[in-house]
Amino acid sequence: MKGPEVAAVTRLLTQPMLNAYAEASGDHNPIHIDEAFARTTPMGGTIAHGMLVLSFISEMMAGAFGERWLASGSLDVRFRAPARPGDTVTARATQQEPKDGRLRYAVECVSQTGEALITGAAEVDAA
Amino acid sequence: MAVTLTNIPAGHEFKAMSIVLDDARSRAYRDATGDTLPVYDEQSAVPPLAVAAFALGALLESVGLPPGTLHANEYVRAHQPVPAGSTVECRARVAQRSLRAGRVFVVLESEIRLDGAPAVTTRATVLCEAEAS
Repeated sequence: MKGPEVAAVTRLLTQPMLNAYAEASGDHNPIHIDEAFARTTPMGGTIAHGMLVLSFISEMMAGAFGERWLASGSLDVRFRAPARPGDTVTARATQQEPKDGRLRYAVECVSQTGEALITGAAEVDAA
Repeated sequence: MAVTLTNIPAGHEFKAMSIVLDDARSRAYRDATGDTLPVYDEQSAVPPLAVAAFALGALLESVGLPPGTLHANEYVRAHQPVPAGSTVECRARVAQRSLRAGRVFVVLESEIRLDGAPAVTTRATVLCEAEAS
């Protein structure tokens, strides 16, 4: 039981993208959209919503598995570092041993400098 | 003190919420994330992560979030495709709340149901400075 190779997804983050995500999702936390506020925090500026960056991993898996991802996919991740406007984020996956009828992948999002932003696991039904 | 997601006690169950997942909203989400995969249109489905994000957004309409709150961990599991245009019901609860090193950590669990059956389940950990909560 071997799953397909999963093609990486690379995306440039921009402030308009964060603003659009806030509108679409309803998450208007000012750390993401208010530069003046964000500068007063330890982050020193706006950072992307974790769920926005995580969406690149979900997109990557949906691209590989299609409807199966929509019906049985799971993600279990840790947000390790903030992603900021201007960062180029790459989501990538490495296949692991299947278990309990599920295909398993180690997944991560990294910045253009190679910094790990998100690490974790993705699973999907094998059939 | 205002009620926020990070000062609600563990065990609290939020009132069930109905969320309409109309196609326009799904498209706005996909446009915002840059996801152009055809599978959603082919299946007339909403991305599972969008369902989770909309549920969190709906929750944040009823309870505040201290500025500067950060997302630490996320578990999301899809149980069935969620059709665009459907209405789902979200039940959420504060599973854990703890104080560590001057920060409040909250674990929020939610189950999003479609026609009475689980569609997406989530478990999110968020944190903020204790003085902000």
